[in-house]
Formats: sequence, C-alpha cells, structure tokens
Amino acid sequence: MSDQLKRVLYVEDEPDIQMVARLALEALGGYSVEICSSGSEALERAPAFQPQLILLDVMMPGMDGPATLKNLRALPQFSATPVIFMTAKVQPNEVAEYKALGALDVIPKPFDPMTLASQVQAIWDRHRV
Amino acid sequence: MFDMKELQAKLQALSDDYAAQLPEKLQQLEQAWQQLPQPEWNAEGFADLYRMVHSLSGSGKTFGFAALSDVARTLEDYLKPLAAAQTALSEDQRLHVEVLLRELHQVSLHRDIAPGGQEVVASSIDKAVRSRRIFIVEDDHAQAEELQIQLSYFGYTVSVFHTQGDFRQAMQANPDVIVLMDINFPEDDRAGVRVMHELQQGREIPIPVIFITSHHEFDVRLDAVRAGGIAYLNKPINISSLIDKLDNLTSSKPQIPYRVLIVDDSPALTSFYANVLEQAGKEVRTINDPLTTLGPLLEFSPDLILIDMYMPQCSGMELAKVIRQLDAFVSIPIVFLSAERDLDKQLSAISLGGDDFLIKPVQPQHLLSAVTSRIRRSHMLRSFMVRDSLTDLLNHTAIKEQLEHELARAARLGKPLSFAMVDIDHFKKVNDTYGHPVGDLVIKSLARLLKQRLRENDLVGRYGGEEFAVVLVDTDGTAAAKVLDSIRQDFAHLRHLGDGAEFSVTFSCGIADVAHFSNAARLNDAADKALYKAKHAGRNQVMLAGTAPNSAT
Repeated sequence: MSDQLKRVLYVEDEPDIQMVARLALEALGGYSVEICSSGSEALERAPAFQPQLILLDVMMPGMDGPATLKNLRALPQFSATPVIFMTAKVQPNEVAEYKALGALDVIPKPFDPMTLASQVQAIWDRHRV
Repeated sequence: MFDMKELQAKLQALSDDYAAQLPEKLQQLEQAWQQLPQPEWNAEGFADLYRMVHSLSGSGKTFGFAALSDVARTLEDYLKPLAAAQTALSEDQRLHVEVLLRELHQVSLHRDIAPGGQEVVASSIDKAVRSRRIFIVEDDHAQAEELQIQLSYFGYTVSVFHTQGDFRQAMQANPDVIVLMDINFPEDDRAGVRVMHELQQGREIPIPVIFITSHHEFDVRLDAVRAGGIAYLNKPINISSLIDKLDNLTSSKPQIPYRVLIVDDSPALTSFYANVLEQAGKEVRTINDPLTTLGPLLEFSPDLILIDMYMPQCSGMELAKVIRQLDAFVSIPIVFLSAERDLDKQLSAISLGGDDFLIKPVQPQHLLSAVTSRIRRSHMLRSFMVRDSLTDLLNHTAIKEQLEHELARAARLGKPLSFAMVDIDHFKKVNDTYGHPVGDLVIKSLARLLKQRLRENDLVGRYGGEEFAVVLVDTDGTAAAKVLDSIRQDFAHLRHLGDGAEFSVTFSCGIADVAHFSNAARLNDAADKALYKAKHAGRNQVMLAGTAPNSAT
C-alpha cells in the first residue's frame, strides 16, 4: 500500500462549499477528490472509490458527521480509514471528543481554500509518521 | 502542475457566486426569523434558523466574507444555549438576535480583497469583533434602546439588560465585553456601582465598565472608580464622547512590529544585529549582497534600513543614493554602520542620504535606541504629512495620491474601483446654530462612521471642510452606491448633541466608477458632479455618476 495520499472523499451537504473544496484539494493538493452530499451517499459510494482519507462535515441534516463515521467503521474496508472532521465549532475539549470518536483531527470551518490542501497533507503526514 | 492564476480566477468566480446568493440567503434567514411564532417555542423553526446561521458562519470566510463569518459565529454562539433551553425567547433575547441579524446584513457587503489567503486579516477582524461587544445595564427601556441603536451604527454588538439579575446571569459565562452601567436602579440608588464592585472581586483583569448616571456627587464618582469604572458619563449621554471612549478601549489595532532591513556583507554581523533587534520585537530582514537589495526592499517595505558603509560590491553611500531615488523610499530613515571615526566622512555620508551614523562596534543598546527613535520620529512626521488632524483621516493631498496609486493597481489587476465624494448637508447651519466645536464633532462622527463601516483596505480622506473622499477598491459603482447608501441611512439616524438638544444631520454623496471614468481627474470630476446633482435633487441621497438617483430613504 502506497503511503502517498491520492484519493480523498469529502462528505459535505452544502454545494458552494463542495465546489470550493474540490477546487482547493484538486488544484493545490493534487488529490483525486470524490464529493458526497450526505452520509448515506458516502456509505453507498465509498466502497467503489476506496478513499485513503475521508473528510466529514460534522453538521449535516439526516446522518451527521459522527453518525456517518460510526456507520463507515461498521464496514470492514473502512474500519481504519483515517477521517478528519470539518466543523465550525472547535474548542479544545470538542477536538478531544471528536478524536475520541476515532477522527484523526479536526479542521475548522470556515477554511481557507488556499491552505486547505496543506492542512490536510500535514495531518496525513503526521498520521503516517 | 496547475496554474495559480487560473486557480485564483476560479476561486474568484466561486466567491462571486456566493456573493450573488448572499442577499437571498439573508432574506431566507430573515424570513425564518420572522416566521418563528412569537409567544411560544417552536423547535423546528428554531432549528431551521440555527442551521442557516451555522452555514453562514462556516462558509463566509472561505469565500472572502470574513466579517460575515465572524458575526454569524457570534449569533450562532448566542442561539446555541437558546436552542438547548427550548423556551420561548424573552423580549431582550429577541432584540439581541435582531441586532445581530442587522449586523449580518451590514457586514454582508464587506468583501475581502480576494477569497482565500486572508488568514491574517481575518484573525484581526475576529479579535476586533469579539472585543466590540457591549452590555448595557439600564432600567430605563427607552434610554437603553436608544443607546443600543446608536452604538450599533458604529459596529458595536450590544445586549441590553433591564435588571441587575439578568445582567449577573449573563456575566456568569464570563463574556469578553465592555459594560455600560447605569447607577441608579429602583431597588437601590447605587445598585450599579455595588454590583460592579462585587463582580470585580477576585478578578485579575477587571471588567471594563463605563458608568452612565445622573449622579454628580464626588463620593459616587469615587465609588465608581473603586468599582473599576474607567469612565463616568453624565446623562444625557453625549454619544460622540461615549464612542470616543469605547474606541479607545477597543482599538485593537494590532501593534505591527517595526521592520528593519540590514545590509552588511558580513553574515556574522548581520545575524548579530538581527538578533539584537529581533529580541526587542522588531521584524528583521538581512541582506549580505547589496546588489540584491531591491527585491527584498520592495517586498519587505521596511521602516528603516541599516547599511554597512564599506562593502566590496558597492559602498553604503551608493546604495543609499539608489534607494533614495525610488519614490516610495524618499523619506525612509537610513542609518549607516561603519568603523569610520572621521567626522568629515561621517558628515558627507549623512549629506548623501543617511540619517544617522553608528560606529562599529555598535553597542546593542545604542543600536536599539537609534533604530527605535528614528522609526518613531519618521512615522510621526509621516502622519503629520498625510493625516488630517481633526479626523485622523488621510488629508486632501494624501487621498489624491492614494487614489492615483489605487487606480494604477486596479488597472494592473483588472479590478473595479469606485470613487465617492461625501458632503454633509447644510453644515453651515450646524456651525451657526451650535457653534464650531459641535460642528467639529459632527465631522468626527461621520469620519468615524465611514472608517468603521468601510473595509480596512478602502481609503477615506477628508477633502476639506465638511467634504470627504472615499476610494472603494475592488468595488464597482453599483456596489459602492449600496454601501454608501446604507451608511447614509445610518448617519441620518445618528443623534448629535448641541446646546443640550439633540439633532440629526444628513449627507449627500456622488460616486464615479472607474469603468466609465478612466483617470483620477475624470473620476474626481464625475463624482463631484454627481454630488452636485444629489444636492440639487434634495440632498440626503447617493447619486451614481451617469445614472439615475439611488433613492432617498
């Protein structure tokens, strides 16, 4: 298995954020990016895309980020796939809670499109070491 | 690899889309709020509202609306406990939400220069917004509401509490606020002082509090000071002096460190000087090959340059001459470093463009004090040269220069730009009726309003008398008219105090868009003519050059 990050799945319900995130991750990160608009869509499409890393918006209607993570973990091929939460609310104790749920880290929203890819890459690299 | 320009263009396009959808989003938000049934609790409606606010706070900055994110975040933080409490909102709570909603509308017009890469700007706004929250504690509802409205025009977020009980409860969350405290309450004619005194107990950093009162007695003033009062204002409140006090308290202008460029061929010496200066909090860039000075000079834009006198590639004096021939660096302080003890040679160095002469080996203390005092003095001189003394806005010459500068920039980047002239209506009457000191206060209040409501990178100048000039970068005429019209409306609502009576003043405004008037002279002329038209059409309105009037009220 290659250690280089290539395939990123981003689960986010808001179309405008989807677009800017795709642009930022593809152009600046050089990743191949798959976007899902809901937790259930992610569960459906993740197996075919085989992401190395999943970005999960926390607050989504229906299945929210943590619930999506729980359901993903129930699938054998995603039992250990690294996940990063994206959320507007980041207080230290909340970060700890998200990590306790099994997330690698948390990226605060609103994110800066110019640095999103490097934030993702930095978390990935830290995780690999 | 990818093309950075193309990426930026795409990001810009996404940001444009976002901007285009914003008014509708805000309208939906407004609707969701209006449709909440007033007396009872409606979980579903509230959840909708919360989700919309959450979405704005999580997206604004990404698309170049950092201030929008910040205000939405403040609102979100306010709504969160209310959502958890699941009880109908009180009058105060509703008011608070409404003030924040209005502020959302206001900041939605404020767009950062380019989406992304605004980390620094955004965080400084963040800081400013947080410290701009105010709690008013006042049992007189009318007075409290009036203060709240007036302060909100200046970008303050205000919550009102009519009883000490409500206020105490809100303070339990330890919010970062400034308190405006009435002293006299029904239960106790010094309740305000007493409560503040209690709240300050055991706090390392006291809560900033301004007392507003009709008490004139010395012992009350003394009590107020002991309760941590930083100001004491008698009723009726002079809004202008209140804002002055608040602005002083909240002027979170981040202390930008002085930047020093060091040019010396010896790496050991440059790093020694750099160390000394950096430890004293200066920002330092070093250059060992004087022939490469130009790039870092332009990009780093230092406040002072230290130059070694003797370098193999070119002498310090030659370098100083080259630097002085660049328009932007005509007046930058240059300090020579040298082992030269010959006074004649020192003098000739100074006549060639140096400001000072430090003899090697330089004592760290000397270096530091020479650098700091030089920079401070040059800043002061510069501010005399470019600032208007009453308003601290750019003066006539400076704003004209800046307009040229911004025009060149806009042309280079292919960005829009608008130029506005603002003139206070019937200003002579204000002076004649209330006297010049009151007239000056009116001018100051408009200056302040313009500064606070426009973006950091817009330029505001006092053109003369009661006339102001505004350069709105990256903004076309229509958008500029919108922004200035919203400022016009708020200015008309400001209450000024003169001769013990309150009065209000309006302004007229003419705007020209660089798309139609291509150089500074034409822009100026067109804006001036539009202003004249606005005056002629009845004043208190904004007129865009070459178009129909942009509605009065």
